[in-house]
Amino acid sequence: MSWRRAVRDLLRHRVRTALSLLGVAIATALLLDMVLLSGGIERSFGRLLVSRGYQLRVSPRGTLPFDTDATLDSAGQLLAALRAEPGVARAGAVLGTTAFVRRRQALTPLVVYGVTPEAQGIYQLDRGRDLAPTDTTSVLLGTPSARRLGLGIGDTLRLVGRLDPRVAAAAVTRLVTVRGLARFVYDAKDQPSVAVTLRLAQRLAGPAAVNRASLFMMQTTSGARADSVAAQLRRKYPAVSINSVADMVAQFRLRLSYFRQLSLILGSISLVVTVLLVGTLLSIAVNERIGEIAALRAIGIARSSILRQVVLEGLLLTVTGGTLGVGLGIGTARWLDAILTSFPGLPAAISFFVPDARQLSTAAITLLITGVLAGLLPASRAASTPIAATLRNDAP
Amino acid sequence: MKRTVKPPFLVAIGITLSATCLVPARAFAQLRPPAPDSTIGIAVQRRFAEAARLRVGDTVQVSSAEAAGWRMALIVAVYEPLPDPSSIMRRDYQVRLHLSDLATLVRQPDRVDRIGIVLRPGIDPDTAATRLNRTAFGYDVSPSRAIASQSSMTFVVVSRFHRAIAVISVLASTVFLLCLMLLKVEERRRDVAMLRFTGISRRTVFIALVFEAAIIALAGSMIGAGIAVAASAAVNAYYQRAFETSLIFSQLTSTTMLFALALSVLLGLAAGALAAWRMVRTAPVELWSRAA
Amino acid sequence: MMPVILARNVDKQYRLAKQDIHAVRGVSLSVATGEYLAVVGPSGSGKSTLLTLLGGLDQPSAGSIALLGQELGGLSDRALTRLRLERVGFVFQRFHLLPVLTASENIELPMAERRVPRAERRVRTRELLDYVAMSHRADHRATQLSGGEMQRVAIARALANQPAILLADEPTGELDAATGREILALFRRLHGDGLTLVVVTHDDRLAADAQRVIHMLDGRIAG
Repeated sequence: MSWRRAVRDLLRHRVRTALSLLGVAIATALLLDMVLLSGGIERSFGRLLVSRGYQLRVSPRGTLPFDTDATLDSAGQLLAALRAEPGVARAGAVLGTTAFVRRRQALTPLVVYGVTPEAQGIYQLDRGRDLAPTDTTSVLLGTPSARRLGLGIGDTLRLVGRLDPRVAAAAVTRLVTVRGLARFVYDAKDQPSVAVTLRLAQRLAGPAAVNRASLFMMQTTSGARADSVAAQLRRKYPAVSINSVADMVAQFRLRLSYFRQLSLILGSISLVVTVLLVGTLLSIAVNERIGEIAALRAIGIARSSILRQVVLEGLLLTVTGGTLGVGLGIGTARWLDAILTSFPGLPAAISFFVPDARQLSTAAITLLITGVLAGLLPASRAASTPIAATLRNDAP
Repeated sequence: MKRTVKPPFLVAIGITLSATCLVPARAFAQLRPPAPDSTIGIAVQRRFAEAARLRVGDTVQVSSAEAAGWRMALIVAVYEPLPDPSSIMRRDYQVRLHLSDLATLVRQPDRVDRIGIVLRPGIDPDTAATRLNRTAFGYDVSPSRAIASQSSMTFVVVSRFHRAIAVISVLASTVFLLCLMLLKVEERRRDVAMLRFTGISRRTVFIALVFEAAIIALAGSMIGAGIAVAASAAVNAYYQRAFETSLIFSQLTSTTMLFALALSVLLGLAAGALAAWRMVRTAPVELWSRAA
Repeated sequence: MMPVILARNVDKQYRLAKQDIHAVRGVSLSVATGEYLAVVGPSGSGKSTLLTLLGGLDQPSAGSIALLGQELGGLSDRALTRLRLERVGFVFQRFHLLPVLTASENIELPMAERRVPRAERRVRTRELLDYVAMSHRADHRATQLSGGEMQRVAIARALANQPAILLADEPTGELDAATGREILALFRRLHGDGLTLVVVTHDDRLAADAQRVIHMLDGRIAG
């Protein structure tokens, strides 16, 4: 009977209940969005980093992968050494550089990844065949570059290497054949990327890039813990930076601490709004029904029953508004994600709003507790209504 | 003791080279007296100087990812970089070197990232850029304005995000205000019934209720504005301290303040009017019985 | 035989709008089992306050009250609430039914509070609705009932847990003459069935039905 009564009590004033539900729904939507935002980008980034199964990155000392233009020297030797390390199952090198494709009179710039095809973690082959380890005449195109160049599998193109302004000519040009189409997992939206073998990329990048690489990616053996392998490698190779996924996520978290703090503040505000809204509505409802409550106490209804009934109403408002808010929150999260993922240079696969079961259940419990707390003050006031005085005041 | 010295040798540099320049922590333990012939001059950022307890006159060893070994460097200045919103999230430390020293250190003696060009008076930057792009090979010439606009894209996105959050907040506040006003006016049910019983016209009762709502909305808005000023000051104080910068994070302009005040008063009035209208349309007897 | 109510030198003072009100002054009273007592007096004479004290809704400033052999002054709020639920029925001038509940649900409420099994509650509710001639309005919300109907349902609610005594405060105060008569008849019937009744009233007809009438004036029993 208690739930039925709570529902009917709320339906007594439909407009105010509808407004309160809407208010709670918006506050819940904001809370949900902020919960998703608070760790969403890190989760998304973490998943992206391990999406190709590589748990460790080696980059020039003091840098994160592709954070600067700095490169590592003696790439061949270092790669061989890393591959021989215990705990390392696979290791591959990547060199990032710029090359051009001459189309009519213009030069179209491309982002070129030089990879060791037998161990690479930056693209996923969608169609065609992969690069062979020693092949310097093949290229894989990303969808944006294929679209921009109007090329497909089997077509040829002339890659123009680093340009030398002093001689007004490219240092190297290479005729290559498109072997396949790939999806570059770390690319920003519409980034025109291509993949070639590391050796070709080093040639295209010019003499300064001979035997250099931007980073190494490593997979650990099944029994080894990535953090332990990273620590062991750090001791052995102090001249380079070795980061596990957790390290990079931590760095990323530091840079995006603003979103974490913003989500904490806005999430707290939404909870306060819920408390105020539910609390105010229930306080006024208790005020209006004070005579009714005193009469109930007079006929022997216990304080605890009165308390429970008012808290139940608050809970009902919070749960119903919260349920509506989940739908609203999912919609607004998509909207906000579309805004935030337009950050320049951000990998297209990154999302700012990623659900996490533990965080979501914590938020749901927090919301429920908020609903109960919001109802407690008016409920305790209702339960402690002085019976005789209230009935006396309520008399005509 | 920390001293901030303006580094004059950097001001006139028109060609800059950026590269990863490392000053590993272990170098700080190896402070040595300067060796004038091989020592290079280095200016360090104030934040870094404070963190590493460095002062002008100290000697450190520097290296880079590309360098084969270490070089002695004499700290000739401690400087405060211009506040840059695009770099506050990065906690890296900055140092400045003479271009030639840095070029040697990163083993790229004749390479630069950017060349800055000062045009003669009267020459349009866009026209100059177009001409240079047509004639030069391998360069990308862009007017400073275009670069600024490109690099400010991050802040455009953040602004768009803030605006979206503001829309949600305004929506939530509207509903909240509407609900409160409705409750506030409904609380006066018995009084309204009494007034109507005594022959006071609907119009007068409506105006009285709206007037009351306006006073509440105005008072609430003023309190809200006060909270906003305090919150804004707190946000600035917190982030300026957290990021060690003089950047302003929350800017409460008079326009923003007036907009917020006007919006809340208007919303309060509208909500009050709506609630009052519902109230005066109801028969006084019904109001009385509902209030009872 | 032990009286249902035994009040000794009861005093009650309270503050209302910054004024000290001495509502009940040195009232001593005994109500026997099965007795029908009417308390009459002008407005402000303290009769309703006396009823709230006799029913354990408020504590006297001085004196003592024993209800069904229990000294009310020595009982905790929880025990008082339990006593009201199980042994005392209350009927108010303004009925105080829950408007969101139907007539049956209002009657069931005190039984639900007492954790009477649902089936038993249903049977008892039907009996009570028959008793007060309201079976045809069982599923109507309180707001859909007339004043007389509401009061009949309120009486049925007061009888739900088979109380030893029924306390009524101006039960016909908000009713027209004809409806008032129906309630009078119901009270007569209740008395006839052996229930102890204490009724505070302005209604001479109601007072005339009572076995004993006490008059109150300025907080004192005047006769």
